Amino acid sequence: MHEFSLCQGLVESILEEMSRLQPPPRRLLAARVVIGRLRQVVPDYMQWAYAVLVKDTAAAGSELLVRTTPVRAKCPDCGWEGELALTFFACPVCSSAGIEIVNGLELYLENLEIEVEDEKGN
Amino acid sequence: MKKEIKVYRDLMGANEEWAQKTRVLLQEKKTIMINLIGSPGAGKTALLEKSHTLLAPPLRLAVLEGDVETTKDAERLLPLNIPVSQLLTGGACHLEAKLVHYALLDLPLDNLDLVIVENVGNLVCPAEFDIGEKAKIAVLSVTEGEDKALKYPLLFREAQAVVITKKDLLPYLPFRLDACLEAVKQINSQAPVFVLSSLTGEGLDAWAGWLKEFGH
Repeated sequence: MHEFSLCQGLVESILEEMSRLQPPPRRLLAARVVIGRLRQVVPDYMQWAYAVLVKDTAAAGSELLVRTTPVRAKCPDCGWEGELALTFFACPVCSSAGIEIVNGLELYLENLEIEVEDEKGN
Repeated sequence: MKKEIKVYRDLMGANEEWAQKTRVLLQEKKTIMINLIGSPGAGKTALLEKSHTLLAPPLRLAVLEGDVETTKDAERLLPLNIPVSQLLTGGACHLEAKLVHYALLDLPLDNLDLVIVENVGNLVCPAEFDIGEKAKIAVLSVTEGEDKALKYPLLFREAQAVVITKKDLLPYLPFRLDACLEAVKQINSQAPVFVLSSLTGEGLDAWAGWLKEFGH
């Protein structure tokens, strides 16, 4: 249950990013985070923590969208690159143990979807 | 009107900043820090108690004990006569870099070679949080089941070494050591594995020898 602690940092980051936007947005509609499959972060728990933490902030009412990325690796020995099962960390072609993880450890705020006033004031 | 703003901001950003400060501090003081991660009751504190005599001297040690509640572990280590601090998370399931950084500032780092952090007993969350350590060490006991490396791949993937404790209990358990070693190898075939018993002392030499080498 480290999602709550992660989400605290996330909400702080979102509020900071929002405060920098010019002109100030009317409201935040959604924030999207990217979570790698190798990270032990549960999207549902993140979303639950998010809903609690954004209450009474400038991000209130916004939705947390989660994009998960599969584990991808490449083999420096035979050049293989592809998706990796979570239970076996070796090259499926040449069995090399020296594979490098390319994707699957992501954990970042990707974008914000905001509502702004257009030229007509709508 | 709807508008999308690209951000790309690391969610571990704040923790990472503290971890980086710790790395700089430890490099300056020429001190190594390792992070012991294992389940509650895996034998992390017993491992510390028994490793101490094999490491010091020549290594000058200190321990940071991470727990949810109580100072029991720090009290247990008092007879070792080394600096020990108890870090209480008050509920949090892992240690974060900021807490560890401040705990380090309270230690006599100029006179220390190795700081061992005993993280909160948990195979999940502590693996996520970089505390600025040089190595994460996964600690697993034979009473926990042979498939743990497969179930908690992040920890075992990130570990620089794996310690399997309570070897003395093997004759009494249906635990297949070879299956356990195979599971660890599937996730991380490069980390050395030490199978030992803190109770009988068997296997402790190899572990302490590796740690000494690592600490230099």
